[in-house]
Amino acid sequence: MNAFDRAFRAMRSDLEVHLLSIFSVGVAFVCLVTAMLVVVNVQHVQDRWQHIGKLSVYLNANTAPERINDLDTALRATPGVSGVRYVPSEEARRELMSDHGDDTLAALPEQAFPASLEVDTQEALTFEAREQMAKQLQILPGVESVETYANWSAKLATVFSGGVTAAAVLTLIVLGAVVSVVSSTIRMALQKRHVEVEVLKLVGATDSYVRGPFIVEGAAQGALGAVVALSLVGALYSFVRGTFEAHLTALLGVNISFLPWTLSAGLLLGGAALGAGAAYLSLRRLLVV
Amino acid sequence: MRRGQRFDPTAADRPVLVFDGVFKAYRPDCPVLRGFSLTIQRGEFMFVTGPSGAGKSTLLRLLYAAEQVDAGRILFLGREVGRLTQDSVPFLRRNIGIVFQDFKLIENFTVLENVGLPLQVLGLPERVVNLRVGEVLERVGLGGRGHERASVLSGGEKQRVAIARAIVSEPALLLADEPTGNLDPQLAVDILGLFEDIHATGVTVMFATHDRSLLDIRPRRVVVLDEGRAFDVPQGLEGAALGAA
Repeated sequence: MNAFDRAFRAMRSDLEVHLLSIFSVGVAFVCLVTAMLVVVNVQHVQDRWQHIGKLSVYLNANTAPERINDLDTALRATPGVSGVRYVPSEEARRELMSDHGDDTLAALPEQAFPASLEVDTQEALTFEAREQMAKQLQILPGVESVETYANWSAKLATVFSGGVTAAAVLTLIVLGAVVSVVSSTIRMALQKRHVEVEVLKLVGATDSYVRGPFIVEGAAQGALGAVVALSLVGALYSFVRGTFEAHLTALLGVNISFLPWTLSAGLLLGGAALGAGAAYLSLRRLLVV
Repeated sequence: MRRGQRFDPTAADRPVLVFDGVFKAYRPDCPVLRGFSLTIQRGEFMFVTGPSGAGKSTLLRLLYAAEQVDAGRILFLGREVGRLTQDSVPFLRRNIGIVFQDFKLIENFTVLENVGLPLQVLGLPERVVNLRVGEVLERVGLGGRGHERASVLSGGEKQRVAIARAIVSEPALLLADEPTGNLDPQLAVDILGLFEDIHATGVTVMFATHDRSLLDIRPRRVVVLDEGRAFDVPQGLEGAALGAA
């Protein structure tokens, strides 16, 4: 019987304790997986906004049609610009009203919906080049203001960095929780199997031979806890996506997505390593016969 | 070419076990062993006796490095037990079979699994383990009982399983720490007979017991422990008593 067989046998004979441990580890991991899911999607939104390749050039109310045509032509000839669309004031109001059928919005004056030139830039155009283009457009006659959506990106960057910090803190909490739960379970298992351990040591088993199955059990608890968390959050994600996908996509401008498989696999391996480490540490001083 | 260890024809004649002035105390004012010295030759059968608390179990525990001597030394197969590193202790124990009063069987394991543990630890293939365990179970009178759980066996059967486990790896020394303490007198005699059968195959046996009736069954060398001192009676207690008369 190798360490895996012995661990599997021990887990089967003490199933309730091990299931409870896996569930506890899973609950700890749920917090981490949820935070990571939020961070991953905020990052997607941030990336999207950073590469949105859009500028809105708002025009003064009294800009002459010839001036607008000149601006349109000049923009089309500018390197990095892939398309220009003129949106008159009425159309801007119509577009907004079709998204939000709100009476308050309908009552706003015409000045609230200035005419604009919606400029699409190529994806390769850097953030700095777009900012530079916006500065040059800003000083042209007939232009009231230029929106590059940079402040949205900055706000999202703040949210993203907050999310990363929260995830880091949660990682530490999960680390503590997993170490504590797995250590307690392994100590209980050791207590229950003290005769087995004693006999093994008396017949000449090395410490690593005795430790083997306990470390496998710890690793299994960590990995299965991560699987439980990924499954629970995955189910919740499927529900949210199925119910609110259209709204979320309209709101964020991107499709929400689950954790990439590399991150999921990393969580699984991390859980296993954490469980194995916790088991090893909890056995270090307890194997004296 | 690497030089191998030179063959020494006298190695087989050397004692298997030497206690040389061994002191052991759990409390400074009450030593369990005071300068205990003893030499045991290969193939000997020896009883260790004395009242409860005399130090019989301590003596055995020192031997398999579960305790450390306070002074003196124990040589097993020429190696000093007290100087072994923690990493070497498992390799010492692979040469010693131990039988306990409380059997120390793993109750949820089968007989086969319990007996096979010392061979599993050595990493032998499953097929070899099963073959060897089958042979040993026949030898202790439990042939065909390998698949029964240890928890369903009687006391006598459990002790036979424990003996089978102790001899399955063919150790150089077999230690028995009150192996009949939990058995009725007839079973105790049967178990002693089993130890004698094993001894007849050339195994050195050290049998610790406080049961005087077992010592009188056949004259054997006896070491009596009392108040930390040891008295070696080479011809057995009955023989010594007759000699004194």
